[in-house]
Amino acid sequence: MIDYELTEMEKELQKRLRALCREEIAPHAPILANGAGEEIRALLPVRLRKLAAAGYMETLVRGDFVAQCVAGEEVAKACPSTFLAAMSSGTAFGRTLAVFGTQSQRSRFLDGIVKGEVIGALAATEATGGSDLGGIVTEARPAPGGWVLEGAKDLVTNAPLADTFLVLAWTNRESGLDGGLSFFLVDRGAPGLEVGETVETMGLRGAPTAGITLRDCFVPSDALVGGEGGGMGVFSAVSCWLGLAMSAMSVGIGVACMEVSTRQGKQKRAFGKPIGHFEGVGAKLAVMFTHNDLGRMLTLRAAWALDRGAEDGAVLVSCAKVFTGESVNKIADLAMQTHGGHGYLRGTDIERLYRDARFAELAYGTTERQRVSIARDGLGRFR
Amino acid sequence: MDFTFTDEQRMFRDTVYRYCREEIAPLCEEADLKGEFSFEVWRRLGAMGLLGLPIPEEYGGGGADFVTCCLAGEAMGHAGIDGGHTLALGAHTYLCAANIMLHGTEAQKRRYLPRLATGEDIGCMCLTEPGCGSDAAALVTAAVKKGDRYVLNGSKTFITNAPLAKVFVVFATIDRARKHKGITAFIVERDFPGISTGNPMHKMGCRCSTTSEVFFEDCEVPEENLLGGEGKGWEIALGGVEWDRSVLLSPFLGNAMFMYENCCRYANQRWAFGQPIGEFQSIQNRIADMRIFIEAARLAIYRVAASKDNGVMLNPLLASVNKMYVGDRGFEMCSAGVDLFGGYGYIHEYPVERGMRDAKLGQLGGGTSDIMRMIVARYMLM
Repeated sequence: MIDYELTEMEKELQKRLRALCREEIAPHAPILANGAGEEIRALLPVRLRKLAAAGYMETLVRGDFVAQCVAGEEVAKACPSTFLAAMSSGTAFGRTLAVFGTQSQRSRFLDGIVKGEVIGALAATEATGGSDLGGIVTEARPAPGGWVLEGAKDLVTNAPLADTFLVLAWTNRESGLDGGLSFFLVDRGAPGLEVGETVETMGLRGAPTAGITLRDCFVPSDALVGGEGGGMGVFSAVSCWLGLAMSAMSVGIGVACMEVSTRQGKQKRAFGKPIGHFEGVGAKLAVMFTHNDLGRMLTLRAAWALDRGAEDGAVLVSCAKVFTGESVNKIADLAMQTHGGHGYLRGTDIERLYRDARFAELAYGTTERQRVSIARDGLGRFR
Repeated sequence: MDFTFTDEQRMFRDTVYRYCREEIAPLCEEADLKGEFSFEVWRRLGAMGLLGLPIPEEYGGGGADFVTCCLAGEAMGHAGIDGGHTLALGAHTYLCAANIMLHGTEAQKRRYLPRLATGEDIGCMCLTEPGCGSDAAALVTAAVKKGDRYVLNGSKTFITNAPLAKVFVVFATIDRARKHKGITAFIVERDFPGISTGNPMHKMGCRCSTTSEVFFEDCEVPEENLLGGEGKGWEIALGGVEWDRSVLLSPFLGNAMFMYENCCRYANQRWAFGQPIGEFQSIQNRIADMRIFIEAARLAIYRVAASKDNGVMLNPLLASVNKMYVGDRGFEMCSAGVDLFGGYGYIHEYPVERGMRDAKLGQLGGGTSDIMRMIVARYMLM
């Protein structure tokens, strides 16, 4: 029977995360966003441990998707950078190991990830391939007792802080995408692994990002995750999870934009009344509400489908990601407009959120890529 | 959370869809071209029990819940029934009969519901006036008590079904000074002295529903035809919002599904530059956007219906979101469907032209999108 209410447990999780984020996460958001390396190094791991103590990292690694989205929205609303760092460690790295890893891989890493004491990262994208994995060049050659990795990855979120990486590489180029790619665990400090300089990003500057290079980098046989040639299968699943996570992040940022704008609409006065009472501003607030509300429903609907292994899970995630990714950019734009010239100042909440929002349409499957998948689904069904 | 319909609901939806697609939709294209209400369509809708769906069985209806009523609306639009006939059904079943069901006395229910439930009598609701639409509380049609009857004077406009209706649920004021607290509802029959209807209007879309003005000149209404009591009219009108934001929107969702599936088929079949046009990304973008709209609109519409069925108070904010999104985005998506068909999309014989005209009403009827944004903003700023 149709029922849109969250369960008591989900409501409790939401309440717990909301309170924690208000006290411990949101106040540091502007500092993290300055993107100064030393401050991030000092602050971010502490934030992750606090979230972990509230059960957030466990939810990312082993929880159901509805719970992840409910909790994730709260974290993203408080600090989008912290959300992204936690997602990269908990979902992209941790959940991948939990689902595709061997027993010994899981016991080696997951306890630390869940406690926020170990930070993981996913290294798949390269300069020449992201949405199109066929373009990547990193290779793994068999060697006695293991593999030797050669190549370079860029845009690796968490790389400057990460203790361990999941690296995608060709193990057999002739087999093509479906049997030729494999994932490897590479620890920081592995000989031949070098983490590059932290890159300057437009937004989400509190989640530090860098490239890594692998030169003659040896990993043992048991570093293989998801089996030899299983890379594409793992990647497809992980992309779907991260697309969903991006949707939850978008809604969180959208709600943050809406809240500061609503406050502005009530408090800022012009021509003798609060500006929210002008229809031109009020209508913008209404559009923000509408897009957040619909986006949240689409996100939870997709999460619910993934939790049940439903056939339409992946396409619903794509729908949610396109809708929320475009919505949050529209919302951030409207929010900037309600702040007038003051929103344009460096260091204001709205200026930071505006930059953060842009990520949602780019990462983990561009909007263009998602639309192609959604359309193919319909074109395949109605001939 | 649960997004599954019960087996019973699903089976009902499928049955309605199949029946409407085979028995009714083929009649709609010609009716729309002529701009005529089809009594044959009406008869067949009645035969399927769709005209009295929410009315309790003891009064000749189907006794269906909100979600089931929405599923029926969705299935009708999805099957290709035009927006005019689904609008006629909406005004008849949900604005007229359901109001009598919810607020009528036992005698009123016995007198009116059985013949409305079968469609033998056609019903309508008269709220909008020439001088007030979205601002409904400003209505001026007056009701004055004289002995055992009320005398109504004034006029109404844009009244769906008025040219054919036998039963009119009419909102009038017994005292303008009391503003919305003076608004009172009445059941007026076509035979009562002093009521008349104007010539049917020619509309851009939803052309098979009949629409006209309604005039009251010393129209005498017996006091037993007071609906819900003096001064209760505003509450009744507001209660109608629940139907308006769910069941009356569901055919728009169905229409979008009909457009989407036709667009997918056309994109597979039509070739250009050596490939099906569905291989072009601009065509894919439109198909993807329609799908996203359908998923979001479905969630929004059934949320209102489910909250009603599950006994949760309707949140006016969430209800307004539905109306605005289904109206505005729905029209954009139907327009995109016409674009996808190219020149053929502009031609009546192809399946998307009518849908675009019909979808325009979603932005206007039952409160414009501008008003919806005002309502949402007002709640946000409280």
